[in-house]
Amino acid sequence: MASSQPGTGVSGLGRLRSALPFSSRDWGLLLVAPGVILFSSFMLYPIFYLFYISLTDATFAGSVIGGGAELIGLENYVQLIGDSQFKTSMITTWLFVAVSLVIKVFLAVGIALLLNHARVAGKRYMRAAVIVPLGFPGIFTITVWRGMFSDARYGVFNTILGRYNEFMSSLSAPELLLFDVPIGFLSGRWEAFFAYVTTEVWLAYPFMVIIIVSALQDVPRSLHEAAMVDGAGALQRFRTVTVPAIKGPVLFASILTAATSFQQFLIPWVFNQGGPSRQNELIIVYGYREAITFNQFGLSAAILIVGIAFVGLFMFVAVRYGGLAEGVGDE
Amino acid sequence: MNPLGSAAALVASAAALVRSKLVALATAPKRFSVMIRRAVYDVRTGKRTSWDVTKSVLMTLFGLAMVLVLLFPLFWITSASLAEGSRLFNTSGIFPDPSTYNLGAYRWVIFESDFFFVDGDWGYPQLVIGGGGGLLPFSFRWAGTETGPGALFNSLYIVSVTLAAGFGMIVPAAYAFSRRQFVGRKRILYGYVLFTQIGAGLSIATLVALYSLFSTYGLTNNLFVLGLFYAASAIPFNTWLLKTYMDNIPVSYEEAAMVDGASFLDTIREVILPLTKPGLAVVLIFVWLAGWNEFIIAQTLLRPENYPLSVELYNIATEGRFSTPWTRFAAFANLFALPVAIVYFAAQRSVEDGLSFGGMEG
Repeated sequence: MASSQPGTGVSGLGRLRSALPFSSRDWGLLLVAPGVILFSSFMLYPIFYLFYISLTDATFAGSVIGGGAELIGLENYVQLIGDSQFKTSMITTWLFVAVSLVIKVFLAVGIALLLNHARVAGKRYMRAAVIVPLGFPGIFTITVWRGMFSDARYGVFNTILGRYNEFMSSLSAPELLLFDVPIGFLSGRWEAFFAYVTTEVWLAYPFMVIIIVSALQDVPRSLHEAAMVDGAGALQRFRTVTVPAIKGPVLFASILTAATSFQQFLIPWVFNQGGPSRQNELIIVYGYREAITFNQFGLSAAILIVGIAFVGLFMFVAVRYGGLAEGVGDE
Repeated sequence: MNPLGSAAALVASAAALVRSKLVALATAPKRFSVMIRRAVYDVRTGKRTSWDVTKSVLMTLFGLAMVLVLLFPLFWITSASLAEGSRLFNTSGIFPDPSTYNLGAYRWVIFESDFFFVDGDWGYPQLVIGGGGGLLPFSFRWAGTETGPGALFNSLYIVSVTLAAGFGMIVPAAYAFSRRQFVGRKRILYGYVLFTQIGAGLSIATLVALYSLFSTYGLTNNLFVLGLFYAASAIPFNTWLLKTYMDNIPVSYEEAAMVDGASFLDTIREVILPLTKPGLAVVLIFVWLAGWNEFIIAQTLLRPENYPLSVELYNIATEGRFSTPWTRFAAFANLFALPVAIVYFAAQRSVEDGLSFGGMEG
């Protein structure tokens, strides 16, 4: 490899390359190396270090830095197996990922179809507006959602539900259709879970909409017209023309957003710190809390390593069987 | 490449973009009225039935309603930023009474908070002759303030490091992945794809380890290192994104340029970079956001005098567990997020093009 690198810097390459035959194929590595090194030192190295911490009985940052912690093998992991909080956290996290993903997919496909429809005027402006949530900082939007989900009688959603109740009672609808306001969105377990999912869907749909829209725009118009000529109805055209076109991109966006949802930290943390009474602690919140609040660095590291392993496994399966890396080996 | 010339070209192309956006925006009502007249004409001449037109109008209204529902949180918080006092809710309805709208909260952000200057104590720049001590015989000094620059400058510093490091590493790497064969190419790319979505969550997951490592190497409270860290977290996804974008540029363009006598660097400058512009715009936005928005790592590693805007915002949000000063929070957040959101809004076409992951479909 060393002999096949004629230039050590990019500067002289232009001249050298025209003079030399193609013996210099490996110099591309030089362009990739800085990024790999930076990424490894700030991202991969800490993972290995985290794994090391998970094998110790470290209790706080000082004991890790000062070397006061001792290796205790897999004890932290053994402790996790029997930990009921760990089980709750895992189940809640998976449920959160699954529920929000399903809603996200339906919502995003609906929005993308509508905002790409021939009958909608000004759809370019609407699309620009609809993807704006992606551009706002998470701490901002999530805090705003916390305000809207306020437990207070005059919180936004409670006010809306109150109006809805008034409207329904004016129609003398049965009690069953009314809501018991005010709802404590952040103080009940499933109410809080519902609030998390709503916010997560709102945060993630723009990415999906963008990807689906660009897939829809790649479908030639003639395909739709041909199907129409053949007498296919709207539903049939959706099934035979639209679905095959967006299947790949939807799967792709689902994988990426599901992996992000699995690592969701800000929503539970800002809303009610994974409450009430630790019932909604998503996995990262659980690990973070063990370290920051309870000074259990070793255990926290073990929890987070398990979380990272799950995401890693998920991404590995997705990359392998979901065709995520199709472009990797095509040349 | 002459750096001054390319900077001027960049400014010129940005100005052209803004101008075309403004023209599009200004002509929108005109185009809209033309569209309506066209529809009326079509119905009169029997080209379209009135039911056909009604369907289009209904669909458009439905689309508009959906946009309004989806963006409701943003309208709501903006109206809250204009409200009287610090209370978020009132008994009269969801939105505060418009007659009480005022800019008091924005005044607070600019002249009292740490947004621009600590405690809002604005100073003025002063030219000092001979006191430079560096390469130049003069220097600038900020005078007239006893406290110093605020969170905005910390944020801008972090973001410039993130952008410089991120772009310096992402663009060449994406090119190499797209156009070159080299040892370990497949494996590294595979690793990047694997790590694309682990970025932000991963940095929180490894926070425990990061804090220990940064303390051990004495890197805490260092804005430069933090900027590098954000760049590192943005590398896999953006390199992959740009690589798939470059894959869609036919190799024959470069070959044609080479046949015409262009050098390797010429093909980069004249073929690759111009054709990759939408992709570069998206990467620019994403890398910027990586440095601009993150606050948990920043809060853990930095001391208060170095807090960027994101951490300040979080501190305002959590000042009291049950008493977020909403109007101030909303005003602060709007000033913090609006510039980015506007750029993002303006670059929507590029975002759609750049994020299409061309190779993914089919």
